[in-house]
Amino acid sequence: MTRTTRTIVKIFLIAAATILCTAAAYYLCSNVTGHALATASDNMNYSRWLEKFFDLTRATGLLNGLCALSWFIAARFFFKVDEAADAGKRIFWAALMAASLAISLGVPHFYAPILGIKLNGIIFGLFAAIFTGAGYWLLTIFATPLAFKYTPLGAGLLKRN
Amino acid sequence: MSYYFISIGGTGSKVMESLTHLCIAGLLPGDERLFIAAIDPDVGNGNLERTSTALNNFAVFQNFSVGNDTPLFKNKISIVRPFPWNPTGHDKNLDDLIEFYHHSNTPVGKLYESLYTKKERDTTLNEGFRGHPSIGAAVLAKKFDDGSKLTAQIEKIIGEGESVKIFLAGSVFGGTGAAGLPTIARLLKNNLADYADRISIGGVLILPYFSFTPTEKLDELFARSENFLPNTKAALKYYSEKENLFDATYFVGDSVMTPVGEFSVGSANQRNEAHVVELYAALAAADFYSRPLHAPKIFKYICHHERDKFSWSDFPTSAENFVQFARFIFAYVHLIKPVLNDLAAGNAKAYKYPWFVDFLEDVDLNAPEVVNFNFYAEAFAAWLKQIETLSGREILLINPAMFESNPARLVDKKLFASLDGNKSNLTIHEIFYRLTEPFKFDSTVKGFGKFLRRLYDTCTT
Repeated sequence: MTRTTRTIVKIFLIAAATILCTAAAYYLCSNVTGHALATASDNMNYSRWLEKFFDLTRATGLLNGLCALSWFIAARFFFKVDEAADAGKRIFWAALMAASLAISLGVPHFYAPILGIKLNGIIFGLFAAIFTGAGYWLLTIFATPLAFKYTPLGAGLLKRN
Repeated sequence: MSYYFISIGGTGSKVMESLTHLCIAGLLPGDERLFIAAIDPDVGNGNLERTSTALNNFAVFQNFSVGNDTPLFKNKISIVRPFPWNPTGHDKNLDDLIEFYHHSNTPVGKLYESLYTKKERDTTLNEGFRGHPSIGAAVLAKKFDDGSKLTAQIEKIIGEGESVKIFLAGSVFGGTGAAGLPTIARLLKNNLADYADRISIGGVLILPYFSFTPTEKLDELFARSENFLPNTKAALKYYSEKENLFDATYFVGDSVMTPVGEFSVGSANQRNEAHVVELYAALAAADFYSRPLHAPKIFKYICHHERDKFSWSDFPTSAENFVQFARFIFAYVHLIKPVLNDLAAGNAKAYKYPWFVDFLEDVDLNAPEVVNFNFYAEAFAAWLKQIETLSGREILLINPAMFESNPARLVDKKLFASLDGNKSNLTIHEIFYRLTEPFKFDSTVKGFGKFLRRLYDTCTT
């Protein structure tokens, strides 16, 4: 596989994983707690709640996908290892992971009241696990440029060559 | 087929240094073993010591498993012992070596006394033949068969069914080389006369290319650079009038006499910088080895385009392998060696360097092979720097502004991509990236050799 093909494949992987995570978060959360939350709200029914919750999940998933994509683009096109000291960049990767977590928790926290829907702790937990855990951490283990392939924590457990 | 290289004297040992680097870089033809012998009465001379270090380094790391389908380390080297062979022994003068006490007051003794001055006979020869080939010729003719194991070793190899190409290198303007080239060639030719169809002897005769001014010990017997040209004239007359013993003869010299630093009679102080003439002489050896065993004698002139400039187009070799090797060495000293040192000292984290995790995590980085390769990388950079910064000449092989030696390091990493003057996309980052990409080698490629092979392969444009 050429380097360009590998880059395109990984960008597609990030896009696909983002969609998958969004879908997983939407279906899991709506099935686990959605009905109870919808009926507990004023002027709300399950189908309206689902509609607004989908907007919320999509926004969270999109922003999270941007975190994973930012890591990939920066590592692939902007980070240059001309000195040994330039290698690694784990602080940058960790900062993006912190941003991902902030998005996974912050978007529901601030956006849900605007949409007029109620959420509970399970949804926050699932968002953090799905978007940050799978949609950023796990995804970057597999979708990192080769020069930084062991930078994501735990990537060293999967030696690839 | 086996290759033999016999360095004679200080200049010969400097040609040997260049040949060692060319050999390691994969510029010799085929994958034949190169046997290296040195003849020098001045066993402690600094030039020989420097060459011996590079040779001994390679002797340790040449067995890295880099595979058989690469120019890298393809020609293995064997050092012919004793190395160097010292024909004079310790604290001996000409009278001792000729065993004059057996011949005094005989007609032969009287002839000998008329041929050599008292000073020539009394001077101890620990530092060589002091620019007097007449002394060297007598000593070498007397001692070669008993002292050197060379003939026996070559006979053994021929006895195993192999052919042998023997190449001699030395100066014609000094003492040891001027004496040794025709003498050793004749002795080998005579000793191996029964195997004439299996051997070929070539030689490079180095003409004057440096000068020095003696500063002290004016009453002693030593080489004087003002004698270089008369010595050379006499030597060339000898080669034109007498039977040429070489199947291929190469003459290399320079119209500009490069001043060497401080004058030294010999010994450890005789440590002259590498010179482009020696590189040409080493390339002459490579040319000789590439010729058929019994090729007709030919005379070649190699000219260069501009009087004081040398570039790749002036050399009778392709730049490709050498440039790739230089890139490989500088990528190693800049990008790899500091990381290995930091990791060993616990000052770096392995995850940052995927090539370390992939290739080297299970390799003993303190193994003698690895340590010797590190030393060799320094030696190569030092040699190249000396060639590139030759006074009075502009040498444009590898950009000298890019690197420093001692310790070897890149000083301008932007120049790395165009280190031979041609633009390429091979930046340091590109090398780092390529090292992390998937590849396949056969199962014989392993250990540190596998990593070096991968690094070498990534250095191709």
